[in-house]
Amino acid sequence: MEDYGSSDEDIYSSDQESYDGLENEEADSQWGSSTGNSCKVITRESLLVAQREDLRRVMDLLSLREHHARTLLIHYRWDVERLFAILVEKGKTCLFAEAGVTILEEVDVDSSVSSSTMMCGICIEEVAGSEVTKMDCGHCFCNDCWTEHFIVKIKEGQSKRIRCMAHKCFAICDEAVIRKLVSKRHPDLAEKFDRFLLESYIEDNKMVKWCPSIPHCGNAIRVETDEFCEVECSCGLQFCFSCLSEAHSPCSCWMWELWTKKCRDESETVNWITVHTKPCPKCHKPVEKNGGCNLVSCICGQAFCWLCGGATGRDHTWSSIAGHSCGRYKEDQEKKSERAKRDLYRYMHYHNRYKAHTDSFTQESRLRETIKEKVANLESRDSRLRDFSWVTNGLYRLFRSRRALSFSYPFAFYMFGDDLFKDEMTNEEKEIKQHLFEDQQQQLEANVEKLSKVFEDPFDGFEETEIMDMRMQVLNLSVVTDTLCKKMYECIETDLLGALQFSSHNIAPYQSKGIERATELNGGRNTKANNNITCQKAHDQTNGGSIELVHPSGCGTSDESGCSSRKRTRKDSGGSFFDLNLPAELIDRN
Amino acid sequence: MQASRARLFKEYKEVQREKTADPDIQLVCDDSNIFKWTALVKGPSETPYDGGVFQLAFSVPEQYPLQPPQVRFLTKIFHPNVHFKTGEICLDILKNAWSPAWTLQSVCRAIIALMAHPEADSPLNCDSGNLLRSGDIRGYQSMARMYTRLAAMPKKG
Repeated sequence: MEDYGSSDEDIYSSDQESYDGLENEEADSQWGSSTGNSCKVITRESLLVAQREDLRRVMDLLSLREHHARTLLIHYRWDVERLFAILVEKGKTCLFAEAGVTILEEVDVDSSVSSSTMMCGICIEEVAGSEVTKMDCGHCFCNDCWTEHFIVKIKEGQSKRIRCMAHKCFAICDEAVIRKLVSKRHPDLAEKFDRFLLESYIEDNKMVKWCPSIPHCGNAIRVETDEFCEVECSCGLQFCFSCLSEAHSPCSCWMWELWTKKCRDESETVNWITVHTKPCPKCHKPVEKNGGCNLVSCICGQAFCWLCGGATGRDHTWSSIAGHSCGRYKEDQEKKSERAKRDLYRYMHYHNRYKAHTDSFTQESRLRETIKEKVANLESRDSRLRDFSWVTNGLYRLFRSRRALSFSYPFAFYMFGDDLFKDEMTNEEKEIKQHLFEDQQQQLEANVEKLSKVFEDPFDGFEETEIMDMRMQVLNLSVVTDTLCKKMYECIETDLLGALQFSSHNIAPYQSKGIERATELNGGRNTKANNNITCQKAHDQTNGGSIELVHPSGCGTSDESGCSSRKRTRKDSGGSFFDLNLPAELIDRN
Repeated sequence: MQASRARLFKEYKEVQREKTADPDIQLVCDDSNIFKWTALVKGPSETPYDGGVFQLAFSVPEQYPLQPPQVRFLTKIFHPNVHFKTGEICLDILKNAWSPAWTLQSVCRAIIALMAHPEADSPLNCDSGNLLRSGDIRGYQSMARMYTRLAAMPKKG
């Protein structure tokens, strides 16, 4: 699915060239601020910037130095809210003690300048006062011992929590001291230490995760409010933030894991084979019995006894396979085979549909090129129709709906199967819910197919009136499929998964505009290329162009409508029922 | 390497000087290898180990004192936190709670404290741990005393 992400840009750069940079800039900043769950890309360069804000909040509130704030945040897994909650609940002393932050009352931490010698408790040597370091906790040891201690701990991979050497002292050592001492002897280890500290923001933070791209793009993604969402990294990979596999909503992560596993080992097929076939004693291919007689012959020519699997000629002859007593288990075997057969058919039903939609999705995405050509043909014609963004918008609506549709089948397989929710609902309840869901699924399916069919037409040869007709069709069907998708998600979230009592399944919410593309962090938003990509995508996610066509009288230039709708788009991401980019009349009509 | 040797040498001198300071502990360094030590510790009074003398073997790593020494009982002992067969000791300060400020001498003291206060919830010797956990103090004490007599006391006659 990654390839769609990257090829989006081609289409859009050709479509939307007219947008000037200033507007993009403006829309972009709008983009970042007004959304509920805006995802951010954190690159190697912006990693420090990304944690700066959290550090700053803690430093300001508790008037701490940076390394103390970082120690606190690492301990509380960068959950600033939780940190503040503990502060209110248990008080500052407890908050600090738990995290191993000790702050001495006296400011004179730097005792290394004192001239007298002292005894280091570790190497039991007399050391000059200039050769010892006193930590914030007040414990004082010689620099050599400290350094050795730090090196051992960094090599053990414990960079983030290096404790003081004193017995029962849980204070975390000052990172500046560690850096200073270690870099004198092992600059590479000091570097490693710094990296560990920086990357703690990703490793220990449940709102930030590495992008799962292979080979790794070096980015991490930060979400703001909801872990259950799907994002697109700036490298183009779309993935489920929660489980880091490909985007799979409306399947829950658990369902998706089971489904992919099932598809991978084709366990049902294996099941069927073991029940219905026996290996030929000669060529070892599985042989299915298609007649009544228990003397079976394989296509390799070998005949064998179905009951015991033994080859004829040795144990039996053509004329006689008598002497077996397997018959007494026959009834049991029949039951087993029936169940296996039923399960397999059920799996095949869902898998076939899932597969069919996935295949259609692949084929339709090839449409992209032909559609692009057709649009180019239309544009080259001397016509008063100029804006064809509705074509691409419709096409993207088709892709998104198709995706939701295909993943709704594995969802249904598990929702109404016996694997996961056997104890959650009675058979009657299940039947009612299944009908409800299937009705919606069916409606969505029908409309998606209609929409798909529209795009098959050779519309670049159409007359203007025909094109106007087609445009109306595309717009209507887009709204309908969008609404139906939303309804299906609502049904899943409230009626099906929401009603579960014993287990909790969460799915990424429906995103009418497609999977959210993570934006660069403000600090890292410095390259023009990145900006452009984001903006092209921003426009892709609106139906901006369509407004103008529904209202031929015009609500301004396409630039304006595109821009204004972009601003509204972001507020819409919470998932209101209708596509806000379309005028009310159009929605009412449906 | 050099640091650990220097530190052990310091500890050795300290032990020689303070020989009589703690009569319950007798710490001896191997003649040829400063990284191998043995200790004789007296079983604490008012415990089933009272009257016994237990031998401990120390194996000191090159990273010492940044990493803890490996210690095990050479004398058989019935104790929830000591492996009955190998003599391995389950004690937090010998694992993740180690601090370089500890010395071999203080480790011995910690082990004596462990003998007096067994931790039944993380047993290496399950039989012993189960006796304590089920509240059968008498059973545990008589078993421990028996093994003390058998293994940790000089044979009479």
